[in-house]
Amino acid sequence: MFDLDLRSRKPIYEQLVDKFKELIIKEVIQADEKLPSVRTLARQMTINPNTIQKAYRELESQGYIYSLKGKGSFVQAFSEKASQEELIKVKEKLKAAVSEALYLGMTRADIESLLQEIDESTGGGIIDDKTSGSK
Amino acid sequence: MIKLQEVNKNFHKQQVLHDITFQIKDGSIYGLLGSNGAGKTTLLKIIVGILKQEKGSVQIEGQKVFENTDVKKRMIFIPDSLYFFPHYTIEQMANFYQNIYPSWDQERFVQLREMFGLDIKKKVSQFSKGMRRQVAFWLAFSAMPDILVLDEPFDGLDPVVRRKVKNLLIQDVADREMTVLISSHNLREVEDICDYVGILHKGSILLEKDLDELKADIHKVQVAFRNHVPAALKKDLSILHEEKRGSVRLWIVRGAETEVSKLIESYQPIVYDLLPLTLEEIFVYEMGGAGYNVENILV
Repeated sequence: MFDLDLRSRKPIYEQLVDKFKELIIKEVIQADEKLPSVRTLARQMTINPNTIQKAYRELESQGYIYSLKGKGSFVQAFSEKASQEELIKVKEKLKAAVSEALYLGMTRADIESLLQEIDESTGGGIIDDKTSGSK
Repeated sequence: MIKLQEVNKNFHKQQVLHDITFQIKDGSIYGLLGSNGAGKTTLLKIIVGILKQEKGSVQIEGQKVFENTDVKKRMIFIPDSLYFFPHYTIEQMANFYQNIYPSWDQERFVQLREMFGLDIKKKVSQFSKGMRRQVAFWLAFSAMPDILVLDEPFDGLDPVVRRKVKNLLIQDVADREMTVLISSHNLREVEDICDYVGILHKGSILLEKDLDELKADIHKVQVAFRNHVPAALKKDLSILHEEKRGSVRLWIVRGAETEVSKLIESYQPIVYDLLPLTLEEIFVYEMGGAGYNVENILV
């Protein structure tokens, strides 16, 4: 499913949380899809089941997944709260990147044209999909 | 649940263990870490009921362990130096285990034979050191214990076998909530599978914590400020260690990541980086903070 860096400084459960978030945000795992059970994942990846349990709990408290007793964990449909939190983090990253870019001599106009480019490539992509689908 | 309360042990008037109190939850993989001669093996032997403590109590699910066969039937101890009966083949050893452990699973024993790939008609004494260790694991996993106690378990195993054994261990923890206690002085070896660690030094538990919490609570920070380092900031942070590298400071800071970040960023550093620590680094700095000599603890 994915690889974790067991030698990384980052705690394994944090890596798990981040990976799952990424998969959920990119819709690799879709809303209401079942996540692998703690046992299977533990066995497949040789990770302590308690660590996986903790990661699932964290994802649940952040609103990315929900769990049904006896059935497992499932991906939560798009959640306002989760995206808000993510938004704050992304803004922080963006701030850091933009200030670095400005320092390195990028101008406001450069950034704006970059923004335009990104907007067209990603936002445009989704629209294209929809229109081609309806045709 | 394994519960130790104020366990003390002396050998010839020399105190080896001093007021050891801790608990291990069911289904947990607990890493007992420490320097050579810290008392790890003695502690394990007390937990499995081979040695008797002078003071204090050891209880497994509320029952005493020492000379209690009901509890001992459900646990397996793989010691540092293995013991097999002389001239016994693997098969004979397996028969012996089958008689001792009511939970022995013959089917599993046969299944695992493929994985380990050793000839069961051969005498255990004819095998190499690493293969003998594999036999010990093979027998242990077939006995389906509720509690598995391992003393320096991965010494002498090659990386492939090591991975296989770890995987089996995880499977049993995931499937039947087996409780595992591993002692080691090799931090990297236990970092990836343990969820809880205890650090033993000179017969006392120095530190005992959830591994992820331990990692989340201590950070390596690199900062640089336009002028000099604000004194108020240094006062507010709990700095365990400081190094100067040119104008950049390297700090080992204790505290939650968000709080540390917020505090440091409020002083507008020109450089700011926060990294988690490896278990090895946590050791070094926690010990330093506790006033222990690092060289004595890391091997």
